[in-house]
Amino acid sequence: MISGLVQILLWQGLGELVSHFLIPILPGPVLGLILLLVFLILKGHANSSLLAISDAFSQHLGLLFIPAAVGVILFLPQLKAHALAVITALVVSVVLTITTTAVILRLIAGKNSNDP
Amino acid sequence: MIREQPQIADIWVYLSGSPLFALVVTLAAYQLGNLLYQRTNKNPFANPVAIAVVLIALVLYLTDMPYQKYFEGAQFVHFLLGTATVALAVPIYKGFSILKTRLIPVTVALVCGGVVSVASAVGIATFMGADAAIIGALYPKSVTAPIAMGIAERLTVSPTLTAVFAVVTGILGAILGSFILNLLGMKAWWQRGFAMGVAAHGIGTSRAFSVHPEAGLYASLAMGMHGILGAILIPLLSLYIR
Repeated sequence: MISGLVQILLWQGLGELVSHFLIPILPGPVLGLILLLVFLILKGHANSSLLAISDAFSQHLGLLFIPAAVGVILFLPQLKAHALAVITALVVSVVLTITTTAVILRLIAGKNSNDP
Repeated sequence: MIREQPQIADIWVYLSGSPLFALVVTLAAYQLGNLLYQRTNKNPFANPVAIAVVLIALVLYLTDMPYQKYFEGAQFVHFLLGTATVALAVPIYKGFSILKTRLIPVTVALVCGGVVSVASAVGIATFMGADAAIIGALYPKSVTAPIAMGIAERLTVSPTLTAVFAVVTGILGAILGSFILNLLGMKAWWQRGFAMGVAAHGIGTSRAFSVHPEAGLYASLAMGMHGILGAILIPLLSLYIR
């Protein structure tokens, strides 16, 4: 697992460098993700330590954005003032997004079945 | 008795000054949230992140600790967000191997779903008179939170508001998803899962996995693809809409 973590950190570092010097519009970690993905596709398989660390991260991804999300306490007055707008926007948007994606998939993929 | 008081205060000053306090509070709150989530059979209402945020806010309020001071300690957890983002490459890679011939339909559906997500949220919030900080933070809210926060930084809007909107979107999607998909008469598990992943990222994916494994696989693929495409297209889209 440690060797997996080292690999991930190296790709993250590479992503940060590419972001800083070449493609500033994309965040470093996203570039690291894209580079690692391309590497995995070219190589054709992912080693077990990489699988272990990525499983650990995706199982507890939520933990990592708690410190930032707690910052919501600083925005409470602003959110309260616009509560109705925020709630309406979030609810309607999620309903429309699910509907659009599902309907378009069904239209393009044609058959509404579980067969591949 | 009289000497006891300052001693306890001293200990408190020492503890609250080190990162240990913020780290313990963060992990313990998450642990508790997770426990409740498991106990309620993964009910989306008992979202572990939402529970943890409320608990920590309560602790900060009761101990009179400013958020900035809490974050100084909790930043060690926060730092791993970038690392976790890079690690998302592995599930996306695994997802690609199940795609085969479906790459074009899922990409088209993803782009349409993503555009509708941004346009509807931003449009409604603007129409209802929300302020610019809130509207800006709504752009990346359907993207998985770690990537959404990176996009928010590039858009110079608050990553905090974005993270909160992303979590609420995920919870709403997990609660409403099955209902909407039933109403639409969607039968194919992979299509249902993919729609959940596009709209409700990680939380929707976790919900999809608990409904059907194939739905879960496609949901996690949708979440990953939305993360990558969102990071590339949302900054461009925001320039166009503004």
